Amino acid sequence: MSWPILAVILLVPLGGAAVLLGVPASRPRVIRLSLIGVTAATLGLSAVLLVSFLAVPSKGASHLTGTANGQSLSQVHSPVSFQFQEQVSWLHTSSSLSQFHPAFNEGNNAFNQAGPPPINFSFHLGVDGLAVWLIALACLLFLVAAVVLSRHEERLKPFAVLMLLSQVGVIGVLTSLDLVLFYFFWEAALIPLYFLMIGWGDERRGRSALKFIIYTVAGSLFMLLAILGVYFVTGAQTGVYTFDVPTLMAAQSFVSTTHASTFSLFGHSFPVLNPQDWLFLAFALAFAIKVPLVPFHSWLPDAYASGKTPFLVFFAGIVSKLGAFGFIRYNLTLFPQASHLFQPLMMGLAVASILYGALAALAQQDVKRTVAYASISHLGFVVLGIFSLNIDGLNGAIIQMVNHGIVIAALFICVGIFEARFATRSLRDLGGLAKTMPVMAGMFLVVALAGLGMPLLNSFVGEFLILLGAFSVSPAWAVVASLGVILACWYMLRMYQGLTQGPLRAPGGPEESSVIEQAVRRVGRIDLGPVELVALAPLVALMVFIGVYPGPIIHYSRFSAAQYVQAANRGTVASPAAHRVVLPGSGHGGQG
Amino acid sequence: MFRILTAVPWLPLHFVPAGNLLGILPILIVGGGAVIVLLADLMIPRRGNLVLPVVSGVVLLGALGTAAGQWVVHAANPIVFNGAYANDRFALFADFVILVTALAVVALSPGYLRRRGMEEGEYYILLLASVTGMLVLTGALNLIVVFLGIELLSIPLYVLAGFARDEPLPQEAAMKYLLLGGFASAFLVYGMALIYGETGHTGLVAIHHVLTAGAVAQQFDPMLLAGIALVAVGLSFKVSAAPFHWWTPDVYQGSPALVTTFMSVATKVAAFAVFLRLFSATLAPYRAEWQVPIAVVAIISMVFGNVVAVAQTSVKRLLAYSGIAQAGYILIGVAVGRPDGTQASLYYLAGYAVMNTGAFAVITILSRRGEDCDRYSQLSGLVRRQPLLAGLMAIFMLSLAGFPLTVGFFGKFFLFSAAIHDGQLPLAIWGILTSAVSLFYYLRVILIMFGGLPEAAPDGELKVAGVSLDGAAVAAPDAAVTVGVPEGVVVVLAGLGTLALGIFPAVIYSLLQGITVVHG
Repeated sequence: MSWPILAVILLVPLGGAAVLLGVPASRPRVIRLSLIGVTAATLGLSAVLLVSFLAVPSKGASHLTGTANGQSLSQVHSPVSFQFQEQVSWLHTSSSLSQFHPAFNEGNNAFNQAGPPPINFSFHLGVDGLAVWLIALACLLFLVAAVVLSRHEERLKPFAVLMLLSQVGVIGVLTSLDLVLFYFFWEAALIPLYFLMIGWGDERRGRSALKFIIYTVAGSLFMLLAILGVYFVTGAQTGVYTFDVPTLMAAQSFVSTTHASTFSLFGHSFPVLNPQDWLFLAFALAFAIKVPLVPFHSWLPDAYASGKTPFLVFFAGIVSKLGAFGFIRYNLTLFPQASHLFQPLMMGLAVASILYGALAALAQQDVKRTVAYASISHLGFVVLGIFSLNIDGLNGAIIQMVNHGIVIAALFICVGIFEARFATRSLRDLGGLAKTMPVMAGMFLVVALAGLGMPLLNSFVGEFLILLGAFSVSPAWAVVASLGVILACWYMLRMYQGLTQGPLRAPGGPEESSVIEQAVRRVGRIDLGPVELVALAPLVALMVFIGVYPGPIIHYSRFSAAQYVQAANRGTVASPAAHRVVLPGSGHGGQG
Repeated sequence: MFRILTAVPWLPLHFVPAGNLLGILPILIVGGGAVIVLLADLMIPRRGNLVLPVVSGVVLLGALGTAAGQWVVHAANPIVFNGAYANDRFALFADFVILVTALAVVALSPGYLRRRGMEEGEYYILLLASVTGMLVLTGALNLIVVFLGIELLSIPLYVLAGFARDEPLPQEAAMKYLLLGGFASAFLVYGMALIYGETGHTGLVAIHHVLTAGAVAQQFDPMLLAGIALVAVGLSFKVSAAPFHWWTPDVYQGSPALVTTFMSVATKVAAFAVFLRLFSATLAPYRAEWQVPIAVVAIISMVFGNVVAVAQTSVKRLLAYSGIAQAGYILIGVAVGRPDGTQASLYYLAGYAVMNTGAFAVITILSRRGEDCDRYSQLSGLVRRQPLLAGLMAIFMLSLAGFPLTVGFFGKFFLFSAAIHDGQLPLAIWGILTSAVSLFYYLRVILIMFGGLPEAAPDGELKVAGVSLDGAAVAAPDAAVTVGVPEGVVVVLAGLGTLALGIFPAVIYSLLQGITVVHG
């Protein structure tokens, strides 16, 4: 592609936000339509990106300069191939030692020692077969959120501007190929999200927002240290001081990560953690909080319960995927040996998330919290797939990230519709609504079934591949994790049945007329309106399409899955799964 | 011109070669400006006159231009006055930051003094005198000159702290500042005396040569170590690092907000300039001895400042504790001691000047007769009354918290990078942990300004130990705060600067690449 499509995708929402700032707040219709226009344009661009990415045969990209272990690094390619790369220098420092006045630099002086290594980072953008799917998902969900956003929303203009800024941040995280740039977007995206959280939502939103930000940033700050650690450790061992992700990925082949010694505890011997392991843990902490995995999840139910529907569509839909994306992009490729060392830990946390999320979802009366805990459970599957460290598991994880984004957005739209009509989201207050809202009940059924992993709907594909991958590593974990699928049926159908079946129950009273009357009073109608239908229809269509015909998405994400598995298996004792790494030309024939 | 002047027999200038005077030209300009303002104050009618601020501004601009010229020309030998002063790029960089801060303070002054009802000409004289002291300090190459600079910057500040003469709190602040400042000076001068006693020199170049010569450096020398320790204590007081910070919260809160702005930014920059030159450069041979204690002071400052800031309900007090924490972060660069540590500290100081000046500027704009409106309850829902001010304040808070897009991020990035490169992992880890704590109080200020939620309005929080800090009833702040043009320019420029330097770190970093430090 001759034009910098990634930069354009980043700049369109940013420019849109600037334009929206100029629209007077008294013109809500104009604001909403321009918001839809901008997000639709971004979606169009991401579709172009996706199509042209899939059309181009992958090829290795980056080169290293310098030597390590007597071997020239210039021959080495990044294990993951990136396309549409664009690079502009951001900060470039020389490593000159003469910052201090030379005339006085004699003698036993600390400044005669080696000066600082050069600090270079750049605006380096690029995508692989993992990122393109997530970018497309992100752009779709932002468009859906724009459609869902009512023009009667209070303070519409700042909401729209902040939404577009969030989009810039999210796409920036997905496209950056420089650790500093990545961290920059990763944290900067939190700023509009924070303002969206404190400005719109229920009365507990301030507390929820603070909790979310402190959790996330606390984890991210350790990642910042680890980013610097990667820079200096890699630099010291290979002579290549860089924040450039493809270069670092390639350089990891030369970083010594052997566990020199062990210590024994309770009769078992454990390896003493080396720097790579600590760096892995620091990255993993940031991503585990973002996903979230179970001991770090407590911000999520509050944040999801407090938020408004349009916010939740993209917040739950795409922001939580960034953690899983980080695991794949950074943990697997930068710390291959640590990934294997901590595989049991990560799979254990994933299974714990699956079960805990499912059980907690069962215990909720608040439908938003049910969906929130269901989300924790579903994302546990994604992480389980990632740390299976084989092609099936990783391929399933990539697909499941997309699927979960679609399903969770649809679920939040659905429960948002109930909340808007009856001003409650408690299962105790609602019931039997199928008769008065037949279209809504039908849509909700499809969404709920997709959420529980019904065959012929999208989640089944991803969960099946993940369990397949997990089974080949550890049958026990796979069996326990599949309990999560069973529990998903329980909590999803409990929510669906509670809301739609049985005797009519709503805050207005048991009479059908009064129920309809209060809904009409609040939103003008009882069943789905055209806008809500337009928002839900593409999501439901995608659920059915991916469920019925998963071939293309499996096929086109499998190449990346294989590359990441190969990257994660560098320098490790080949596991049975590793033998099966074949870079597949075709989707289904990939695993031997 | 100097040749002509030295030819005049009755001027004692022939003792002073012209190059020496050129070397301290910014000091001469600001010091002379103070005298001009003093005279002008006698001749013009007192109140509401813009002559003094304009003259002060022109003087500071002149000094700034001169410093910029010196940076460009960059004398091959920046040492003047027989090794007493160096106008190297290190000093010039600190001078920039100080002069720009002082300019911002002068621009904010007329409006602020009018609102607070304390328009006095002495204000500008004292301000310029203090700036003179700071400029002396940045390039000081002799212990005596260091002491001279410290006193010259401090004494006007003691007066400025109590400038709101009719209010009790500023009086208390000024008294506290004077007493504790005197203590710190005593520590400093005692430490200097011990160093002089052991090395036989007061010039930093000579001291460095003695220390590197081996005669002293090779053996354990309790007197010298005690001297270094006492100097460190005195300087830690000036940069308000814990545990030598006890004056900071009361003085920052009690002083008029604009004086606090100046005190918290410019003083810190000048004192850190000395700190960096003395420790990272002159005393570098003793790095093994002072590194751990300085690192400990840095960690205590970060922990104490950030943790105590959580409990505050006044923005001025919050910024005081946050200033202690920021001093801890900047001390990371001192403790690292290498060129990258020095660069990181200077970068952070520049960023700190922009964001902290901005945050205080917002508070000064909100002030009114008799008080500064800085309590959380007075900021509640500010976005509805003053959306621009609230937005800018949010930027400053995010920057102080170290978020990307703002200068605070790269400040911390370079500091942690220097610490890790030097193998000082504990410093970086404590920095990370305390940064996480700091999010709580910075973001809460944003929440209060933007949310105005029931829980965010700090009903219960205003009572500390059963005493309502706010008195019985808090009068609603004036809905119609008028933002004057110079004030608006300052605060908007600070906001834009915070963002621009946060997106393009190379702007400052490329300057720091060319830094030279004369140290001995």
